[in-house]
Amino acid sequence: MGQSSRLKPYLYAAPLMALLLFVFGYPLVQIFEFSMKLIRGIDGPWIGFRNYELIFGQDLFWEAVRHNLQLLIAIPIMVAWSLLVSILLYDRLKGWKLYRVLIFIPYILAIPIIAAIMKKMFQFDGPVNDALRWIGADFLALDWIGSSDYALWTVMLLIIWRESALGIILFLARLLNLDESLIEAARLDGANWWQRVRHVILPQMRVVIEFYVVVSVITILSSVFAYVYIMGGGRGGPGTSTVVVELYIFGAIVRQSLPGIASAVSVLLFLVSLLLIVPLFAMRRRANEEEVG
Amino acid sequence: MTSKTNGSTISRRRMMQTSAALGAGAIAGSAFPAWRVRAAEEINMWWWGEQELPGLQGFVEDSVKNYTAATVKPMLQDTAVVISQFQTAAAAGKAPDIQYLWNGIYHMESVWLGYLQPLDGLMNADVLKASQPTLLSHYDGHIYRMGWYPLPMIWIYNKDLFEKAKLDPEKAPATWDDFLAACDKLKSAGVSPVGGGIQDGYWGEWYWGHAISQIVDTPGEAVKLFTGELSFEDPKYFEPWARLEELKKHDFLNPEMSSTELYPGIDLTVAGKVAMGESIGARMPKDNETTGDKIAPMVMPVFGKSKLAGKPIFDTQGLGISKDAKDPKAAAAFLEYLQSPERQKALHDKTGWISSNSGTDTSVLKSPVVLDMWKRWGQGDNIPYISNVVPGQFYEQALLPTAQQVVAGKITGEEAGALAAKVTKEWRDFNPDMVDNYKKWSQDLG
Amino acid sequence: MAQATQGTTGASSRVVPNKAPLRPDQVLKHAILVLAVFIALVPTIYMIMTALKSDNEYTFNKIGFPHALVFDHFDIVLFQSPFFHWMGNSAILALGSVALSTAVSCLGSYAIARMEFRGRQLLFSISVALMAIPPVVMIVPLFVLYTRLELISTYQGAILIYAGLITPFSVYLLTTFFRTLPKELFEAARIDGAGDFLILWSIVLPLSLPALLTLVVVNALYVWNDLLIAVLFLQDDAKRTLMAGISVFQGRYENQIPLVMAGMLVASAPMMILYIAFQKYFIRGMMAGAVK
Repeated sequence: MGQSSRLKPYLYAAPLMALLLFVFGYPLVQIFEFSMKLIRGIDGPWIGFRNYELIFGQDLFWEAVRHNLQLLIAIPIMVAWSLLVSILLYDRLKGWKLYRVLIFIPYILAIPIIAAIMKKMFQFDGPVNDALRWIGADFLALDWIGSSDYALWTVMLLIIWRESALGIILFLARLLNLDESLIEAARLDGANWWQRVRHVILPQMRVVIEFYVVVSVITILSSVFAYVYIMGGGRGGPGTSTVVVELYIFGAIVRQSLPGIASAVSVLLFLVSLLLIVPLFAMRRRANEEEVG
Repeated sequence: MTSKTNGSTISRRRMMQTSAALGAGAIAGSAFPAWRVRAAEEINMWWWGEQELPGLQGFVEDSVKNYTAATVKPMLQDTAVVISQFQTAAAAGKAPDIQYLWNGIYHMESVWLGYLQPLDGLMNADVLKASQPTLLSHYDGHIYRMGWYPLPMIWIYNKDLFEKAKLDPEKAPATWDDFLAACDKLKSAGVSPVGGGIQDGYWGEWYWGHAISQIVDTPGEAVKLFTGELSFEDPKYFEPWARLEELKKHDFLNPEMSSTELYPGIDLTVAGKVAMGESIGARMPKDNETTGDKIAPMVMPVFGKSKLAGKPIFDTQGLGISKDAKDPKAAAAFLEYLQSPERQKALHDKTGWISSNSGTDTSVLKSPVVLDMWKRWGQGDNIPYISNVVPGQFYEQALLPTAQQVVAGKITGEEAGALAAKVTKEWRDFNPDMVDNYKKWSQDLG
Repeated sequence: MAQATQGTTGASSRVVPNKAPLRPDQVLKHAILVLAVFIALVPTIYMIMTALKSDNEYTFNKIGFPHALVFDHFDIVLFQSPFFHWMGNSAILALGSVALSTAVSCLGSYAIARMEFRGRQLLFSISVALMAIPPVVMIVPLFVLYTRLELISTYQGAILIYAGLITPFSVYLLTTFFRTLPKELFEAARIDGAGDFLILWSIVLPLSLPALLTLVVVNALYVWNDLLIAVLFLQDDAKRTLMAGISVFQGRYENQIPLVMAGMLVASAPMMILYIAFQKYFIRGMMAGAVK
């Protein structure tokens, strides 16, 4: 083997390494440094852990964190709804393929589009309230996006609506890979639908459910920017009721000229996502072993 | 101050904040495209405004063509980079001779960084004064901007709705008591008395700008609220929000206000759905054309007793001269040229709007309503727009959210004051370097 | 009971005998599924119906069918608004970043999967781990850097970021796929005297077409749908993407809701059409994408 062939693998991998270093490597190192400085422009004086001290002492930061955590409530609902629908689809009733195609549509629509639509639907004088009043449920005709009591729940509703579509498809894919003979055997033993679901199907779906949960946790903790950006009028309103960590970072850099503060929060979010990588990988490996994903 | 007169939905605050400190980016001396290298006798001018005042580009080109004393090279800037592009260039010693500047804090940071020269001494003092740079362009005894085109900050009311409620359509309520009485009548007549849209928050900025000037005797007093010398927890200083709470409690605000955005909210008054609201002067020609002069301007009804109370608020967009100008006198001469009566007329011809010059020829204004507005706002005893002094962090975390929450009935005026005080304190902690600048600025602002 | 007796294909034809009356539990199941479909489609239906109403009709008829079909809004959206311009921008970014990322990932993944070198497992592990890092974590230094380099509001700047963000997933998917290709294939080619690049280009890539298609769908969709990077790094009106444009558009015409809905309909049309045409790749791609 000559010199050139020993270098060749690196030649192939070099663009990849360069790209990853630029987009991930540089920023991930830099946020630690920035978080220790009072940045004005591209640099500023070293202030140690002052930025962390400031954000930990700020109500708005904790409120943003709390909102992310509150959105996690969506996950059990997403799981339950996705399971119900996917198992019903698995029964392969007449027309199930068409159902499947249609049910996946929420996931095809881009979040900004669907958020803009939902925002109009949930306006105080919008169609949702019109419909509610029409069926006599006036007490439910809330100011869905205008009131800080409900706005985050409305965002959550949207998240559930969209992310469930993914759950349904993931679960259905797993179901279609199940060993049908077990279910058939259960049926021959006289197990009814519920018993088959409870004792045969669900146990086999544990891994894919866990996988979906972990993916959803990551989504909700770090990828809900587009939802709240549109629904909350660009700044997490009304008041600060829909501010999430991503929007906090966005505001700190774009609107308050505080890259140091934004970096400190980025560091915290980075550390949290590192914690989530471990379970994610475990899930992925197991999910892959079952040929999902 | 939101500058989206023609629908461009970008808050000027946002643009500035995008960039503010980034200007310093050039400390490291960044690379600049070669096309910025210029000939010695040329005056470079970076400007903005076509985005909010269509036709301004035509005016600029026309002015450059007709100006014989020097060659002026204009460049229209992108909305998002107006401040950052200038500050970055200035830090590298390559700023244009003439730069477009928004008012208040939006150009004061550049002043503090030393990127702008004072115009007093460069320009004819009378011309500079007549251009109406406003008090917010003053720092350390100098003036840093020349006014270019105006932004009268107004309240508006719909005359038809006033008639419907048996109110005098030619007389807007001037005192708070009259205002509440008018609201009562409007409400009984089945009309939403006052409001607009606050879903995107900007309405709260405008509202506070109108209300705070009834409470502070000078803009400098408002600045002291941020430096910590005065507090929003003082009932005197949270009164703007307390008054808003009063409107909410009386159920005078339009019900869809919380889920409607600023400009659609103004349209509600134009469309005859809400009797009174907030607007800006530049909308008036068009709104009155649409309605047949039914949208009249008014000053926010007076509850306060300050020296500024009841006076019309007048803001301007402006131009300044950078520290890098090779021949500041030549640049100043071009700015003076823009203030000549002939150019003032040309500005109207090209844009349909008017020059900010207090001596501008008003015969071009066809609508009596718009003319009336100009006489009171543009030529009368006007006052600056105080929302232009608030720090970005306060703007985002207090100014907009508090008003939204008061309008939604979620917090009281007093709670709004407490939140404002808390955010102000946080701003001082987060930005220790800015506090001193503000302290010094407050002296210029009276 | 027929529904569980067959495999994954051709199921629908053999399910319930056509003329047999539905049993109560099946009625219930159908009802739930119809409800699920309804919920999934309500916003789309609302969007389409509203887009066809006049502003005036919408004020009193928000939930019913339009009485008279109005197409004026589409005229405004298509010809008086920069929708095509925004779509063009989004398309440039999607194409550019997907192409860049795919090229880089193919080379890199080939090296990881088929070549021996120090640190290849590390490189793979790291790039896979990066999938779980939220993009928002990276924006501050990149934003500051881009401001300094004057890359804000440039296509190349945004393409670079997008390409970077989607690359970990590309590497993961391609490496996994390349590893499944039979060894004999490579050996045979090598005996024929083919070099690595030729093997990659004329053997590996054609065989990887399904994986590549999935990749393109997932990544293009990610870039097309992104708002965070678009809002932050493409602030210039002329470079605005469809998603950022939408957020401006929906605010600007907020009280002309039918017009907004026409805009949303136009904006969602490209993906909807692609979805209907390429359901299989979409569904497979989205599932694979969930791994990100």
